[in-house]
Amino acid sequence: MNQLDEKIDRILSMPPYSQPPDDRQTCLLEMLKEELDYACQRHPGYKNYIQHWPVDYKTAGQVSDLPYLPVGILKANPPLSFVALDEIKRTLTSSATTSQLPSRVVLDSPTSRRMTKGVVAILRDFIGPFRRPYLVVDTPGSKGAENTLGARGAAIQGLQPFSNGTTYCLGLTDHDDLTLDLDKLREFAKDRRDTEVLVYGFTFILWNHLVKPLMAENVCLNLPNARILHSGGWKRLQDQAVEKTVFNEQLARVFGCSADHVIDFYGMVESVGVIYPDCPEGNKHGPVFGDVIVRNPLTLEPVAAGEHGIVQVCSILPTSFPGNLLLTEDMAQVIAYDGCPCGRRGISFRFAGRVPKAELRGCGNLQSKR
Amino acid sequence: MTSIMGSAMTELQQNVDSPEEISSAVARLRQAVSDAEISPNDVINVFDSWAKGLDARELDDIPGIVFLRIWLRRGTLEPIITRELGSNGLHGGWTEYGLANCKAFPIGIVGHWPAGNVEIQPILSMTCALLGGNAALVRMPSGLVELTRRLMEKLVQSDPAGVLTRRIFMAAFEHGRKDLHEAMARAVDGAMIWGGEEAVLQVRSLPFPHWAKIAVFGPRISVAAMDAGAWGNPGEQESWCRRIARDVWQFDQQACSSPQVLFLEKAAGQSTAQFLPFLQRAFEAENRAHPRRTIPAALTSAICQARASWLLQDIAHEAIFPKGPDWTLLFGSGVDLPLPVQGKTLTILEVDNLIDPVLKFDGNVQTLGLAIADPEKEKKLAWLAGTRGVDRIVKLGRMHTFVPPWDGVDLIRPMVRMVRHVCSTD
Repeated sequence: MNQLDEKIDRILSMPPYSQPPDDRQTCLLEMLKEELDYACQRHPGYKNYIQHWPVDYKTAGQVSDLPYLPVGILKANPPLSFVALDEIKRTLTSSATTSQLPSRVVLDSPTSRRMTKGVVAILRDFIGPFRRPYLVVDTPGSKGAENTLGARGAAIQGLQPFSNGTTYCLGLTDHDDLTLDLDKLREFAKDRRDTEVLVYGFTFILWNHLVKPLMAENVCLNLPNARILHSGGWKRLQDQAVEKTVFNEQLARVFGCSADHVIDFYGMVESVGVIYPDCPEGNKHGPVFGDVIVRNPLTLEPVAAGEHGIVQVCSILPTSFPGNLLLTEDMAQVIAYDGCPCGRRGISFRFAGRVPKAELRGCGNLQSKR
Repeated sequence: MTSIMGSAMTELQQNVDSPEEISSAVARLRQAVSDAEISPNDVINVFDSWAKGLDARELDDIPGIVFLRIWLRRGTLEPIITRELGSNGLHGGWTEYGLANCKAFPIGIVGHWPAGNVEIQPILSMTCALLGGNAALVRMPSGLVELTRRLMEKLVQSDPAGVLTRRIFMAAFEHGRKDLHEAMARAVDGAMIWGGEEAVLQVRSLPFPHWAKIAVFGPRISVAAMDAGAWGNPGEQESWCRRIARDVWQFDQQACSSPQVLFLEKAAGQSTAQFLPFLQRAFEAENRAHPRRTIPAALTSAICQARASWLLQDIAHEAIFPKGPDWTLLFGSGVDLPLPVQGKTLTILEVDNLIDPVLKFDGNVQTLGLAIADPEKEKKLAWLAGTRGVDRIVKLGRMHTFVPPWDGVDLIRPMVRMVRHVCSTD
């Protein structure tokens, strides 16, 4: 494990987007094979799955041939784990509606440490390395308890390495509804016109609890050097028909910054440490310690550039749970397999919504007992 | 000719956007029914010709087309008519029952709410009503409009006099248009409702007239079972596997008659695992012959999820599957019915005795497909399955054969009135 740990750390220290795709393929293939070996030793059920995969991973010639798990498997409770109970440092849970079960992933110390390093490596490439005042558009309670962490908390915490002081600008009403603390927000913005600040919030929270109230009162925070990151997806804004460009423009207007300072990033707790921010071209990229494969639903083979398919995320970071090769429930379009004008190497892609909920259809649709 | 056919098609199948359009179509259908009585034989004459018209290469890609061609033939339908409507029923005559004579009369207009998963179901449902002398008002699932149009064009060609086509209206509209569903329901004298639980409950709650006859073909699953004498017989293993593959392939395993699980009875000195390679070869061959053309991404996800869940759940579980979502064999042991996955995902469960899983059936199993070498055992299983709610017990390879009774009920008789006449002079 120590050797594996060292290898992962070595790759984590590389510039995240400069490796040519072929080199990355070779590097990831070797690492992921080692991690599959390790995982098979730790979990008999996982080993059973790997052994029945139609391609022997030991002889696989490309990452896309390696055995991947559907992300829904991580909804198991107790969670799938490659480590003993006393090694678990934290359990992350995904956001889930009441009708869905959340995913649960367990982190041991090495995986937890790599998660932080991974996010930092990626974000440094987008917003620079230094620490700055950090405005969280959420409540202090959302950062989570000591042993468990939700998706919002994980994202908030993932940005802490860029912070030299954190301010939470939302509070809770007596009915536990989110409410904007305008005084706190004004206090944060005061005298920071020339300071670079970092802002983070879940997409729908930013819109509903910051942009809308500030727009209503015609408030501009006058923070031209704000870098605004948001994640969590657009689903909860669909009923308000908020377009991405409108979202960016309005957000930029209330902060008084340029719309290209607003960065949407995709991340999932099941693929800890790897996030996918939009590049200036509006594309997403995989870092050197991970990759993205977009698979044709009909064949499960990787699609050609320009085509849509189901997203598989790959990451060498987790060793405490089976999160290395995950078929997600998201769709994406591959823009190109290399050569994004932003200069980042490897695949560039854009998300295209969720895979519609899997439902049995028709007269064979039997879910409930008589 | 083409334009006449085109206008007949327009009359017969339309996108509908208002209740008034349905009312207008209903008036035409009611007029057609009252204008002239047609006997099942008249209907079969047209169907037989239609079956020949459907024997065209350009239609070979339609799932279920082979079955539809066979269903529409005189040789298939005559015995069904005789059994359901009486010995003189074919020509619309009275049949003697003791002191009385009985004859089937149409109920009028039959509304059809087919499921979207079986491509030929709108047509199959419609034919049942027509054979009873009724008119048919069919709500078209949006995904089947074009495919059904191709099939109905052949009917228009086979029925230049409009014997049947004037009795048909196929209404295409959005699933969520409650006003149009209600307009249909108010206008019909009977309904044939097919589909999943939610769809069936929604349709049943529509405002049908109090006299309407309702036949519901709701959600069920189906099961296959083999005793050791069948699966262990080296001379028959390949042919049984071909039959199983055929049953699984039809309708992408989404029909109520699709087997979701295969129970294999243990044999002394033989491992049921020996049977897997035969099944694998049969599935590979069926996949080469009938590859999928499209798949919803959700089904692909569900298939991947089923494979992983199965193998992670128990290290004794085995599975065989290709890289793609084409088909999946999940192998283990146990007597409980697994939740259906569909998409050509067959769970194979080894059991000590086939009686054990059948005892677990709870009324949700529609068809039990059997391969049993021991006839006495088969009789016992059939009886037991009947007591446990199974409505069809058939040979493997014939699980989808659409022959009444289906779901325990006849297909034509529920949509006719059997009029009894006791002669006053006797």
